[in-house]
Amino acid sequence: MTKRALASIAIAMAISASLPNISWADTIKIANVIELSGAGATVGSNWRDALKLAFEEINAAGGILGEQVEVTDYDTQTDPTTSRAMVQKAIDDGAYVIMGPIYSGSVKVNMMVAQQNGVPQLTGAEAPFITGMGNPYIFRTSFGAQQSMPKLVKYLTEEMKVKSVAVAWVNDDFGKGGRDSFVAELEKAGIAVNADVSSEVGQADFAADVIKLKSSNADAIFAYLHEEESARLLKEIRKQGVTQPIFGETTLMNQKVVDLAGDAVNGVRGHVGLTANAPIPGIEEFARKFEAKYNYKPDHNAIKAYMGAYVVKYVTTKNGKVDRQSFADALHGLTITPADEPGILMETSWDDKGEVNRESFLVEVKDGKQTVVTTLPKL
Amino acid sequence: MSKQTLATLVAGLAILILLPLTQSNYGVFVLCSWLVYSISAMGLNLTLGYAGQVSLAQASFMGIGAYVTALMTMAGVPWPAAMIAAMVLCFVIGFLLGYPALRVQHHFLAFITLAFNALVVLVLRNEEWLTGGTYGIVGIPRPEVLGLPTQTPLAFYFFVLALFVLMAVALYGIIRSPWGRTFKALRENPIRANSLGVDIRKTTLLAFAIGSSYGGLAGSLLAQLTQFIDPHSFGLTISLKVLLMVIVGGAGFFFGPILGALLIVLAPEFLRFTEGYYLMIYATLVIVLMVFCPTGLLGLVERARAALKLRQNPNATTWEAGR
Repeated sequence: MTKRALASIAIAMAISASLPNISWADTIKIANVIELSGAGATVGSNWRDALKLAFEEINAAGGILGEQVEVTDYDTQTDPTTSRAMVQKAIDDGAYVIMGPIYSGSVKVNMMVAQQNGVPQLTGAEAPFITGMGNPYIFRTSFGAQQSMPKLVKYLTEEMKVKSVAVAWVNDDFGKGGRDSFVAELEKAGIAVNADVSSEVGQADFAADVIKLKSSNADAIFAYLHEEESARLLKEIRKQGVTQPIFGETTLMNQKVVDLAGDAVNGVRGHVGLTANAPIPGIEEFARKFEAKYNYKPDHNAIKAYMGAYVVKYVTTKNGKVDRQSFADALHGLTITPADEPGILMETSWDDKGEVNRESFLVEVKDGKQTVVTTLPKL
Repeated sequence: MSKQTLATLVAGLAILILLPLTQSNYGVFVLCSWLVYSISAMGLNLTLGYAGQVSLAQASFMGIGAYVTALMTMAGVPWPAAMIAAMVLCFVIGFLLGYPALRVQHHFLAFITLAFNALVVLVLRNEEWLTGGTYGIVGIPRPEVLGLPTQTPLAFYFFVLALFVLMAVALYGIIRSPWGRTFKALRENPIRANSLGVDIRKTTLLAFAIGSSYGGLAGSLLAQLTQFIDPHSFGLTISLKVLLMVIVGGAGFFFGPILGALLIVLAPEFLRFTEGYYLMIYATLVIVLMVFCPTGLLGLVERARAALKLRQNPNATTWEAGR
């Protein structure tokens, strides 16, 4: 190779190295840090698919502020440490907003990283502590358990006249957080807890748990587990011929549980923050689009992700600029209605902690379908 | 140590010092976790690779180390004291866990250590007053070394690197010492070792204790690296991961676990372009490796070297060629 060739290569390398490290095209980078493998893969893929759907729609309609949106998936493997690394990677890659994850244990670890770097994060997690840590960059896309449990307990006392409850829960951040909020509400309402049965993530055999629930002679059973475990528990409950009514919160009536447990879910009642079967035109429309594209029914996580994507669009358009700090500032105390932004589906408000507030539903599963019994007003 | 080896080591260290400077924060985080897992795997390599005791409890020692460090530093104890306490406690518990190993071997020992790991996870989860239960502990402080904070990823990396080099040198010393030779004698043929005057009992217990204290230190560093620990992070899967690092890299080779940890920590990165298939590809690679080379990657290198020497000198015995 001649000296000249070497010199020109050296110059080319020097120029390329000195260029600022920005993306070439005008794109807004959204990082989707989500459970795509491991125990959370079921909920994570719902979330991812809906997010993809939403941003494809947004891009087709001209993007945000004239810029196209680029979504990158980062798999947390349902592992808190990996999720932290993935958030770090997303920030290094220049993410404008981080979407996810759903598992509370992961969010607890990685939200600190997002906070240190001032990156807004829209999470699907429901454990109460998430918004209680004073992080100004974290926003929920659905209720925390501390908001939904009072609604459910109110229903149990006033409508169902329940005097005692047997509680089945999964022993991780999600399950324990929900169980603690629920039991605290029961105490306030003066309802006895006859049995308190914890189980493991990924547990396969629920025979012993169900015997404990059944022999507790409680008026009702409350189950707070992840989707797959919920399905196994319900099947075992039916197998042992338990007669008490069964109640749950969001996950127990999830579409995934219905798919897995079939008839065993029929008759289960509970409170859901979001459901694809809600009698709301926006949600019905979304569910139809989702099913047409992916050939399966969306669950509440899909709705959360879909609405989250439109939150990014609405707030950024409202600010008139792609700026993380303005995004976080603007979303605190904001109310978005479907009239403002059709993609938001239901009127939703965020408070100063990033907690959401919107209408919610009491549902009963009938013939493998969630049927809305009552729509509960905003808090 | 030959001049050539020394030059390679210096070059390796130079790479370890310079590499993170070119990396993003995420890259530095990955390098950090590689070093941390290397320390843990080095400890297990001593127990498994050199002394031949199968242990599935390395994650539990990482857990004990992590919780001791987290609780003590958060209670105001200076970090060197906390980390030394973590290592000493792991040494003692490892020593005690070694007792069953005096009576049972191989897969029976694997089951005992497996049960121990499950036990530790349950204690960490159920003793909420101490460990915070399922919620774990958040906000573990990073150490301040000689007045310098290690809050930034790069500063913490150099802190971990320093300890990594220290522990590697210590392990090298142990392996070359008479202890190291008795460990190997124990692995190769315990009865013969005993007949030659090796105190099998003491050697087995020490192998466990030293290996465990390495796990404890790795746990300490892991707690400071992620600044969050929960019982789930120290379950059986992590023990299996560390075991895989040792075996893939090459059990009984000094650099085996370091190479194994590199591969296992970085594998998801290398295979990211395959998207959803990477776990399947990864699993297939491990199966293929184990079928064709049960002695791990460094075993493969060793075999290739021996084969080459045999070709150059067909009259040599395999043993001579392997030297």
